[in-house]
Amino acid sequence: MIARRKVLAAGAAGSAALALAACSGDSGGGDGGVVDGSGKTITMWLMEGTNASADTYIEELKAAFTEATGATLDVQVQPWDGAHDKFVTAMAGGTGPDVAEVGTTWVPEFADAGGLDDLTEDIDAAGLAEGMVEGLVEAGTLDGVMYGMPWYAGVRSILGNKDLLDEAGVTTQPESWDDLLTMITTLKEHNPDWIPFPIPGASIFAATPFIWGAGGEIASDDGGSWSAAINAPEAVEGLSWYTDLALKHGSSTAAANTWVETDVLAEFLQEKVPMFITGSWVPATIAQDNPELAEKLVAFTIPAKDSAVAPSFLGGSLMCRFLETEEPELSFELIKLVTTGDFATRWAEETNYFPGTTEAMEEIVEAGDELTKVFATQMLEGGKSVPVTPAWGKIEGAKTMNTLVSSVLGGADVQEAADTAAAEMDEIFGG
Amino acid sequence: MTQLDSPPRSPTGGAAPLERRTVPLGRRLRRASMPWLLLAPALLVLAVLLLWPMLRVLNLSLQDFELRNLLRGESNYIGLDNYVQVLTDPFLWKTVLPNTVGFALVCVVLTMIVGTVVAVFLNSLGTAWRSISTTAIMVAWAVPALTGTYIFVWLFDPQSGLVISTLDGLGVMEPGSFNWFTNRWTFYAIATINVVYHGFPFIAVTMLAGLMTVPKELYEAAAMDGATAWSRFWNVTVPALRPIIAVCVILSTIWDFKVFVQIYLMPGGDGSTREVMNLGVWSYTQSFAQGEYGMGSTIAVLLTALLLVISVIYLRVLMKEDEL
Repeated sequence: MIARRKVLAAGAAGSAALALAACSGDSGGGDGGVVDGSGKTITMWLMEGTNASADTYIEELKAAFTEATGATLDVQVQPWDGAHDKFVTAMAGGTGPDVAEVGTTWVPEFADAGGLDDLTEDIDAAGLAEGMVEGLVEAGTLDGVMYGMPWYAGVRSILGNKDLLDEAGVTTQPESWDDLLTMITTLKEHNPDWIPFPIPGASIFAATPFIWGAGGEIASDDGGSWSAAINAPEAVEGLSWYTDLALKHGSSTAAANTWVETDVLAEFLQEKVPMFITGSWVPATIAQDNPELAEKLVAFTIPAKDSAVAPSFLGGSLMCRFLETEEPELSFELIKLVTTGDFATRWAEETNYFPGTTEAMEEIVEAGDELTKVFATQMLEGGKSVPVTPAWGKIEGAKTMNTLVSSVLGGADVQEAADTAAAEMDEIFGG
Repeated sequence: MTQLDSPPRSPTGGAAPLERRTVPLGRRLRRASMPWLLLAPALLVLAVLLLWPMLRVLNLSLQDFELRNLLRGESNYIGLDNYVQVLTDPFLWKTVLPNTVGFALVCVVLTMIVGTVVAVFLNSLGTAWRSISTTAIMVAWAVPALTGTYIFVWLFDPQSGLVISTLDGLGVMEPGSFNWFTNRWTFYAIATINVVYHGFPFIAVTMLAGLMTVPKELYEAAAMDGATAWSRFWNVTVPALRPIIAVCVILSTIWDFKVFVQIYLMPGGDGSTREVMNLGVWSYTQSFAQGEYGMGSTIAVLLTALLLVISVIYLRVLMKEDEL
């Protein structure tokens, strides 16, 4: 690593010039030789399952990269399960790739630990600093340094089954919590066998829009020192309202207390669930598993207490460069190829995620259907990050928020459960 | 391991002192080192595969070691702080330890009972049926813990599993009215069925091997003396199988104490339902999910120490002095 730093320092001017030169050749093409990589190989990790037709995409990306730089691209597809451990082991053992897709919530943790490289200068030099999706930039920035290039993002909204909703006569966008509750109770009365609005205990991102929608926060940042806010009155109000849907209004089932998002989706696919909170990438999955159902999907933004759009978690991935790479310039060429231009738009289209740049985002929304527009509204008006601190990885690991939601669904007092969660978070924030 | 500790007796051990003095020192050393030399390859492999990682874990347990330390190769010794923190945590005493110990106890007892009953049953069968039945139960053993766990989770699915559907058909319970996985007792009941189901074939087959070595004459003699099947079992079978029972109990205890996959993969077992956490899951969520490798190692060391103590007690109680 030290050796690489020296090389970097010595060749800083050179690399800046190269990066500038690279600007002219973007949009996925290039004139062959912005960075001469002939005879070299760049390794990239992609996460599995995001793109159903990843194979063709990867083949064409490899060809384009070789054409642009002369280097060979080796793409290794990694499953999400156990990915965190794999990254950690790879960083510790120096066996990591040159470039990797890293989930937004992991970037601060890995960057702080010293596994990811600073991309700020490269991004500035390439003129890419403007026009990136705000939420992704926020997630990739730690202490003013960018550790990843925004690639794609997704957000959660409410997805409904038009047939069932029409049958019960609830088809309009809820403008507040009260509207949503009316929808749920109407559905419940119409057909008690349905699960009108499942409250999955093991999915925290279905719960956060209600915490945020009541004006609450998970934690608050006071000039770099974080402290839990999950037990403050607003957060507790949101949490109570959300869990009461299951506990008092029969919107869910006891079985859902341990459900993850895919479990809810499985019930939705069986057409027993009229509506649920899910990600913008899910309609594409439904289209594959149940094309008939995909025809009758309808989406609503998740309402806040008094408005139609609540903040909803903006998750996604950034393209990061590993600190250990021996080919930083070549790696950045690859990052640019993937995150800008044709390949970025194409990835977004194929995956139903939103691209990381505002320009490509507008293109996608223009061309998209009603569902896309709803999800895009939720993302642009309500996209929000979880606390951007290395400690978040630990809080996620400790499942503090999951425990909070599922224990309340299991009958625990909301304030007490929130106090416990807050104490645990503060302990982690405190180091 | 016990054999390794006591060097084999030298063939000249019983000879007169006068004769022993005549053996030159070099030759005596060579003789004494011979067994160690022969054991060296095995010991070396054990040292590399077991001893070194164990020492590393011990070393880590004395540090506040996080992802950052791992990546930068820095150590950060804090003495016994981790141990103090774990041992003074009420979560350990109220949740984790009772779950681990209670669950292991129940599983070991049940696995041994089921395994022994099945072994006795298999022993009474003819050769053909015995092979068929043995093969059938070995399938249960061959199923990976992961697959087995998912099967039980699926059977007990609170919304549409076979169990709830059957109960619904009988008019006992409505689907979705109760979640087995969020209650400590029902959670562990399901885990127990899973672990016992997965563990009994090994016990049954091992016990069967033992049963087949017990001389038939002993049973005949006991029967002649008027012993019932029950007292024949306790007075002939059990004493003859004591060493095998000891090994089975120790192995089951070790397996059931460190059970991880079967808990972690159940809904809520990954740490989100805190009251069902056991030592294995706690150690994992500390070290890998939260990157607190030092704390995770401390828990692992405590688990190992606990198992060592239990194994020693077992060996003392179950084996006679001369068998040790």
